[in-house]
Amino acid sequence: MGRARRPVQIIILTLIVILGGYAIGTAVFGGEKARPENGDSPPAFNLRGLDGQVHNLEKYEGKALVINFWATWCTYCVNEMPALQTQWEKWQDQDVVILGINTGEDDLTVKNFVKQTGVDFPILFDKKKEIVGKYGVVPMPTTFFVNKNGKITSIVQGELDLKTLDKQIDRLVKSR
Amino acid sequence: MIKNTKCECGHQNPVGTVLCEACGKPQFEEKMENSGELLEMRYDGVARRSQRANPNFIDKVWNFFSSVKVAVYLIIITLVGAMLGTVFTQETMFVTINPETYYKTKYGTIGHIYYKLGLSDTFNSWWFILLLVMIGASLVICSLDRVLPLYRALSKQKIRKHMQFLTRQRVVYQGPIHENSAAWIERAVTPLKKKGYRVHTEGGALLAEKQRFSRWGPYVIHIGLIVFLLAVLFRGLPGLHMDEHYWFPEGEITPIPDTHFYLKNEKFTVEYYTEDEMSEDFKDQGKVVPKLFETKAVLYQCVARCDDPLAEPELKEVHRHNIQVNDPLNYKGFQAYQFSFENISELRSVQPTLVDKETGEVYGKFKLTMNDPDTEYQVGPYKLVLKDKYMDFGLDEQKRPISKSGEPNAPAFLFTITGPGLPEDGGQYIYFPYLQQQQYYGQDQLNQRLGGTNNKLELDLAAMTDVDIIEYNSYLNIRVDRVMPFVWTGLGIVMIGLIMGFYWQHRRIWLRVDDGIVTLGGHTTKNWFGMRREVSSFLQGMGIEVDEKSLDNGGNRS
Repeated sequence: MGRARRPVQIIILTLIVILGGYAIGTAVFGGEKARPENGDSPPAFNLRGLDGQVHNLEKYEGKALVINFWATWCTYCVNEMPALQTQWEKWQDQDVVILGINTGEDDLTVKNFVKQTGVDFPILFDKKKEIVGKYGVVPMPTTFFVNKNGKITSIVQGELDLKTLDKQIDRLVKSR
Repeated sequence: MIKNTKCECGHQNPVGTVLCEACGKPQFEEKMENSGELLEMRYDGVARRSQRANPNFIDKVWNFFSSVKVAVYLIIITLVGAMLGTVFTQETMFVTINPETYYKTKYGTIGHIYYKLGLSDTFNSWWFILLLVMIGASLVICSLDRVLPLYRALSKQKIRKHMQFLTRQRVVYQGPIHENSAAWIERAVTPLKKKGYRVHTEGGALLAEKQRFSRWGPYVIHIGLIVFLLAVLFRGLPGLHMDEHYWFPEGEITPIPDTHFYLKNEKFTVEYYTEDEMSEDFKDQGKVVPKLFETKAVLYQCVARCDDPLAEPELKEVHRHNIQVNDPLNYKGFQAYQFSFENISELRSVQPTLVDKETGEVYGKFKLTMNDPDTEYQVGPYKLVLKDKYMDFGLDEQKRPISKSGEPNAPAFLFTITGPGLPEDGGQYIYFPYLQQQQYYGQDQLNQRLGGTNNKLELDLAAMTDVDIIEYNSYLNIRVDRVMPFVWTGLGIVMIGLIMGFYWQHRRIWLRVDDGIVTLGGHTTKNWFGMRREVSSFLQGMGIEVDEKSLDNGGNRS
């Protein structure tokens, strides 16, 4: 008589552990809304690029990403553009992609700026500032380094110079 | 020690049985055969399902949660925890604070300790959720362990019970009858049936029973509570719950992140109390108190091309509501509450008129928006091409024009104008919509330096109606709570269980006749007074006069 109960007990206890574990897990790890940190997957986006194409994470799967949030009115962003361009030229053959996500400006402004500075890595429009919010970017510029496995390895706030950028990308390429 | 769990009637009872499952004879106190004490009728005396002679680890865990005592302690601990969570305002109540400093500055050291203990977010803390999960486990296991044996016991009751089982009920009658026992029992069936009992007879014994379903009330309550708990614990699943705050500028259709909804703030109104309406106190302090704030909101749902960044989404108006404090917009569980507002007076667009400076001839006007302006305009015989745009005009160190920020604080537009009286490749013209900024930055001088238009043309704002300003930003709290229907369902089930248990009682009457003596035992889950009255009226119908009170076998509690 007691035999048939054992599986029932085990099933119920397992269910409680799984459901309870999930509930506690989401409480402890804060669910979805927290800003991304090192080791997290970068939040998804689906944005129009200056090239008229759609850019998203799936498109760059398997590549190391440098995601840079910028605006033309942000002096530090403007200052680091040449460094980004130089590194883009250096690393693009090694599966490194630099994405410049412009925050909330219109086509004309961005086009003029790109023409002036001569950058040619993909520039993306985040007109509604939705993705900036999802990435929890406060000061500009902020740059996210994402390795080939799709995990954030570092987040840099503020202007990047050529040397640090080179070091960061080098680490990114080597990181597994 | 192996306990003999076989009853004298020959039935083998599980460990922990109080009253024999078959005949109802008490199983624990064989020494005092004639104890007159009342029987413990909880769960009809059956053993809890999981009780074993040699529990292993799983049994021990199971038995822990199976205990009502444990459940009571869990509930008390949870209540105390919940009380602690009401001492200071919880973190989740604020939109933007830094909890690390907030509690210390507002409440002092106690506040800091409160924060350090994690009580500033009690209801989302791991231990609080763990307690809820444990209560859930206890609910499931307690119920299972009791409802199944009880169901079994009640669905196959023996009609003829042990004498002690009858005489130790709380309603008891014993007396002689002067007729054949089978005939007497037969005669008793009809009046009992009339009182709504279901009657079963067997030889010289009878069992009458009614409203057994009320016994399931508590378990129905538990099912409802489990539904409720699951709903609350799994609010965190994606798409089930959202509680965010967003700005909605007047006149703009603003997308709401992570949804397919767009909300347009058509008009925001704020009214303040006049001086006469305010108390003396407030008047002296010179307070400004808003009387009403209202957002005329239109909710749109995206119906096509929603996730395509290359195309404009197709929107369909689905709902319209004037949102006021405590009067949110509500569309199928999507809610927008008025939270705050901000007077921004931000320029949205202007409609400048192109005028000939020399002749005063008006060529016409065009609409220039601050965000995403068109790049080409045809005004009369002139073609204006927008070459560059500055939201917040300024000059950098090399005296080149730049935008100082992304806000339209000092918008400036650089056009190339072609048309009659102008050079072949056109003339450059810079335009500041704000009049005072035209002077401050020296629009005329700049244009002279740019050259080409030869001081011939001018952009002019003819009337205030040509200026479109976003007066207010409305701050709305967007909430989606898709678990509420489950919460209400759970509570509804709880209510059904409460009604089942409160308004009906499970009543049973056992009768047996031995050698011309009839023994009656009665049991009810509550309302013993009503039970005694029913029994005495039944006996009266059978020709036996009994005082209601004399049926009481002690334990006079109700």
